[in-house]
Amino acid sequence: MDNPSICVMTISPKKISFIGIMTALCIVTNYMLIGVPNVKFMDLFVFVSGYTMGMLSGALVGVLTWLVYGTFNPYGFNLPTLAAACTGESIYGIMGGILSGRLDLKTDRLRFHEEFWKDNLILGVIGFLLTFIYDLFTNIVTALVFEIPLIACLVAGIPFALIHEVSNFIIFFLLGNVMINTIQKLCEVRRN
Amino acid sequence: MWFYASLILLCGLIASTYLSVYYYDESMRYQSLYREAVERLNHLKTHMFINVLINYGNGTEIWYNETEVPIGSSLLDVTRKVAKVDYQLFQYGAFVTAINGRGGDPGYYWMWYFWNSTSGKWEMGPVAADAYILHHGDTVSWVYEKASW
Repeated sequence: MDNPSICVMTISPKKISFIGIMTALCIVTNYMLIGVPNVKFMDLFVFVSGYTMGMLSGALVGVLTWLVYGTFNPYGFNLPTLAAACTGESIYGIMGGILSGRLDLKTDRLRFHEEFWKDNLILGVIGFLLTFIYDLFTNIVTALVFEIPLIACLVAGIPFALIHEVSNFIIFFLLGNVMINTIQKLCEVRRN
Repeated sequence: MWFYASLILLCGLIASTYLSVYYYDESMRYQSLYREAVERLNHLKTHMFINVLINYGNGTEIWYNETEVPIGSSLLDVTRKVAKVDYQLFQYGAFVTAINGRGGDPGYYWMWYFWNSTSGKWEMGPVAADAYILHHGDTVSWVYEKASW
């Protein structure tokens, strides 16, 4: 009989493998695009991880990616910023997990008809809004950590935030649906 | 249909808010820079920039570039602005005896030179330091050296 006082969190080997692969994919694409500030595939990959494998997996992919990328980063290392980036990035995974039961993206929709584009549009908007939250959160933390006036920090970050949000809209719009359906087909994973 | 249109509009609203805040801030910044530039230009109507070199004769040479002084200032004025100057007044003008405490050695004097940009050489000052009126962009030097006369 199980001891109810002991809470054991289990995670399947398939999920562990998936988290490792997605984390590696995030890190590789991040370094690949290091010369292009704020344009990253990572956010989509984290969201897709959450969407296909659940919010915990998504959050883990985000946190693990940032632990590597934030530590070995040519732009420098800063612990509070890294913590903020880990937290912010995990939002993509968590929201991916939360939305997976509601968006109802179907594999058979992976054809170029109206529903496909509607799903893509919704994913694009989700990417945009999540990035907006992420940028707002990380900018606020940066302002607090470096003792910069909050408004000045937010205003100075606008060009970067705009690039980040628009690029994520496009990436989520173009690749989100395709990637989710492909992973679901490959792994035959369905959330409970 | 309206749902999708409103989603697009929501993103557009955020993006346009960002842009308007950013460009408002930029316009404020450039207005401030413009005002500063105008003030600076007005200031230049009454001030000029002079380059001053002080050679202490012991290997120490210190440049005071772009020293700002009112138009019509003399060499003595600009020197007093960048250093502590001891001098005596005679009928021919001011005679500098020490700069920043250095001076008074037998046979050594503070001599001054101006840079002749046409010939590309230092030329000895023709008059006393308080009688030499500087012009914008002039380069002058003080050298503590043994007199050749």
